[in-house]
Amino acid sequence: MASETNRLHPLSGAMMALRRGFTGFSIPFFLTGVGSGILGIDADLTIDLLFVLSPLGFVVGVGYGLAYYYRFTYALTADTFDVTSGVLSRRAREIPYRRVQNVDVSQGIVQRLLGLAVVSIETAGGGSTEATLRFVGSDEADRIRSEIRRRTAAVDDASDATERSAATDSLSETADEDVVEPQRDNDAARGDRSTTLLFELEVGELLVYAATAFRWGAAVFPILLVTLFLDPDSGAGFLPDFVFETARSVGGPESIDGAPVDALLILAAVAALQWFVATYVASALYTIVNYYGFQLGRQGNDLLYERGLLQRYSGSIPTDKIQSVTITDNPLQRLVGYAGLWIETAGYGPESTGGNQSAVPMAAESRIYRFATALTGVDRPDFRGASPLARRRYLVRYSLLAVGVVALAFGASRVTGLERWYLAAVVVAAAPLAAHLKYVNIGYHVGDDHIVIRRGFWRRRTTVIPYYRVQTLSTRRSIFQRRLGLASLVVDTASSQTFTWSEPTIEDIDLETARTLHETCGERLQTALRERAGDDVGLSVEPGNRP
Amino acid sequence: MESLHPRVRLLWIAQEALAAIALGVGLAAVDRWLVDVPTVALGVVVALGFVLGVAYAVRRYGVWRFEIESDALYLERGVVTFVETAVPFVRVQHVDTQFGPVERVFGLSSVVVYTAGSRNADVRIPGLTPERAERIQDTLRQLATESDATDAV
Repeated sequence: MASETNRLHPLSGAMMALRRGFTGFSIPFFLTGVGSGILGIDADLTIDLLFVLSPLGFVVGVGYGLAYYYRFTYALTADTFDVTSGVLSRRAREIPYRRVQNVDVSQGIVQRLLGLAVVSIETAGGGSTEATLRFVGSDEADRIRSEIRRRTAAVDDASDATERSAATDSLSETADEDVVEPQRDNDAARGDRSTTLLFELEVGELLVYAATAFRWGAAVFPILLVTLFLDPDSGAGFLPDFVFETARSVGGPESIDGAPVDALLILAAVAALQWFVATYVASALYTIVNYYGFQLGRQGNDLLYERGLLQRYSGSIPTDKIQSVTITDNPLQRLVGYAGLWIETAGYGPESTGGNQSAVPMAAESRIYRFATALTGVDRPDFRGASPLARRRYLVRYSLLAVGVVALAFGASRVTGLERWYLAAVVVAAAPLAAHLKYVNIGYHVGDDHIVIRRGFWRRRTTVIPYYRVQTLSTRRSIFQRRLGLASLVVDTASSQTFTWSEPTIEDIDLETARTLHETCGERLQTALRERAGDDVGLSVEPGNRP
Repeated sequence: MESLHPRVRLLWIAQEALAAIALGVGLAAVDRWLVDVPTVALGVVVALGFVLGVAYAVRRYGVWRFEIESDALYLERGVVTFVETAVPFVRVQHVDTQFGPVERVFGLSSVVVYTAGSRNADVRIPGLTPERAERIQDTLRQLATESDATDAV
């Protein structure tokens, strides 16, 4: 297909012109404000100046916005996606299709009404999105996304057309009709543009997700609400009135000034509880709004997702760019037997700063594991745990922490006259439990093609890493670990998720075990790479598809 | 296993001495403007800091080892947390040699190996003579090109 040069949606040209125009209009106000304030320019002269300069600024701004719109072009060529932009200094960027990690499309409420969308194209390089098209029509966004994926497949095919003919015979025994559709010829799979639905988030699952996923980020919402909608003079200082009223019924103070410490503590506890409840509600609403109507489908070698109630997000994740797959659950979700599945690439997604995409936000655990199996070919892992010495280590660690808390309470009692400070000793009793929970949630599984690492209690993550995605391997031993003969193995991948989550680490295993694992992983990386030389397909949706 | 150039101890000792002096200056400032610090205590703290710093630098040198193995660059380092890292040649994105201004005074340079990994994306071997650094860079570049099997990401 011949490469054509495209512009953004005309409406975005109008928006850009208006925004720049407004900026141009307001700059003279700012400048004259500075001028009259600092240089002492006469006020009448200032107003006269404004009458001339502001319309002028508006016209210049509109002109600039229009020029930006007309000078911003993008094109889909045979091998690259080209973006040319800039009014005064021009920038031409060519992104090879092979380097594209994922393509994401998002639509805000207003944009949906106007039929516009933002397209972001991610590559592994750099610290941000490589190309952002703000805005194109929503049909055009879909076209760009599928064209990029189609051409990527074409580029791949040209380079390794011969490699993959025999690999498609057997459907692995781990395949599941829930997830994997019948096997077909590979070329047909690549050329196939029809979308197969893999997962649809049901209302029940969405509600479970909303009820169990607690997002600390939502803690700002209650603060925003209080600062925006409450009269600042209604409460004493920074606490609104209703907090005092609730606290008073359980022994809170009339006001902060001159209140006894115990009453203040009650007030603090009530405020914290209310804040927590408000955060929980905000977090649940956020989850519902963002994950309503979640769908995951497969088109050729890509996974396509779509979600969002007000703001729609959609995008494609090439299966051959997947770095690792992580299953997350928290204690609540474990209690009801649910978990979530995340796919990590080296790009940057709209989700956060990390290139993670939720493949399955929430589903019954068994279903999640079937999904993970279908995505990576890993069997349900048979976990081995950390060394029993690790539990002792955590017990010491948490006990010291608890003693610190008691010491703080004691110190506070000296300064403020706090009574019953010794009640803080309760946390000491929690230390053994915490140590045990941390210990039992550590696990690892060394498979033929993958290493599976599980860690964490509150937000437990089980990460499946194919050996051929391993970047570096490190064995770490702190002075405390050396005393006990323990070590931690860090398995680093190119997943940009690790900027926000910690890197996959098997903590506190015997030094001997760590050494053996380190060696095994290194060897299997080399073997896997040799096997894959020329067969650059990556994680395939069909588990039986690898040599 | 290869050690670093012995002169790197001097470099690190110099850095620790600078840190000790900075600590002394900080304490002197506290003494001058906030609370009285006895001169003896100040001297003891700075001396102790210096001694610890020297011990740390010497130990750090004693622990640091690296080796170019058949398929990976292997490093051992760390006084408080001992870390053994293997960087497979296939994963090497590019290799730099660096000469910092302080390093240059001591006639030393470093090799920095970059991978596409996330946290330990750059691995630095300090305390090399410029010739050795360049040789390592050449070797690594060659090995990385030879073992270029598939895409890193």
